[in-house]
Amino acid sequence: MPRVERSAEVSWEGNLARGEGRISAPSGIFSEAPYSAATRIASRPETTSPEELLAAAHAGCFAMSLAGELREAGARIDVTANVVLDEVDGKGHQIVESQLEVRARAPGLEQAAFDEAVEAADRGCPFSRLIAAAAKVTINATLED
Amino acid sequence: MATERKATVTWHGDLMSGSGIIDSVTSGAFGPLEVDWANRAEDAQGKTSPEELIAAAHAACFAMALSHGLAEAGSAAEQLETAATVTFVPGTGITKSVLQVTGTVPGIDEDAFRRAAEDAKENCPVSGALKGNVELELNATLA
Repeated sequence: MPRVERSAEVSWEGNLARGEGRISAPSGIFSEAPYSAATRIASRPETTSPEELLAAAHAGCFAMSLAGELREAGARIDVTANVVLDEVDGKGHQIVESQLEVRARAPGLEQAAFDEAVEAADRGCPFSRLIAAAAKVTINATLED
Repeated sequence: MATERKATVTWHGDLMSGSGIIDSVTSGAFGPLEVDWANRAEDAQGKTSPEELIAAAHAACFAMALSHGLAEAGSAAEQLETAATVTFVPGTGITKSVLQVTGTVPGIDEDAFRRAAEDAKENCPVSGALKGNVELELNATLA
């Protein structure tokens, strides 16, 4: 399989405490999305943060991975990722955890097969593997009727 | 103090022919964003991918850390143009993130700027989450 590269650009002005950055993605799906230190720590509407972007990446990655495991054309998968940034003694701010809430509907799928698929999806999700060296990944998965 | 950020994805269908929508992010700053396998593993055609979002997170985190390091060292940046390029090898995983920064920083020489950038690359929280599994690279120059 070929290598795939994806890039994004940020323009930052000023220092950390009072400055502000703008994030753009070449796909055009977001352009000059604002963020700042204040909104990274204390959320403000309409301003994203690195952790929010990672939450979006993890939820997107896990949903695809589980879809690949279920192989059900009629499946519907809902994933919420919650990424936690915390102060760690001697290390400053670190991303310590990503918590996944998964709900799936897959016609005819048994609970045991679903549980196996969730485990396989975690092993196969590139993002889960990526952060496993530094942060904890927790998964709470429910199979719905 | 711990800070949490959330995003939700709804996926329909299987991996190859299905697609998902990223929505309900904490800030409401972006979304809904469409994702699918073809746009992730082949050419990006107007849809985002987990790797693009990681690139955005890494560039954003690095820019913040560098602005802080420079200000602490007494030479605050006027502007930092940063980019991150993340490599995804289907079947292998996410293998690399390359950071590129061009800084407008009064009163600093190229060497000191590179050292500050190297420090930010090593210590920003997103680098911390990626390190160990992903090769990190840096190109830093003054404007």
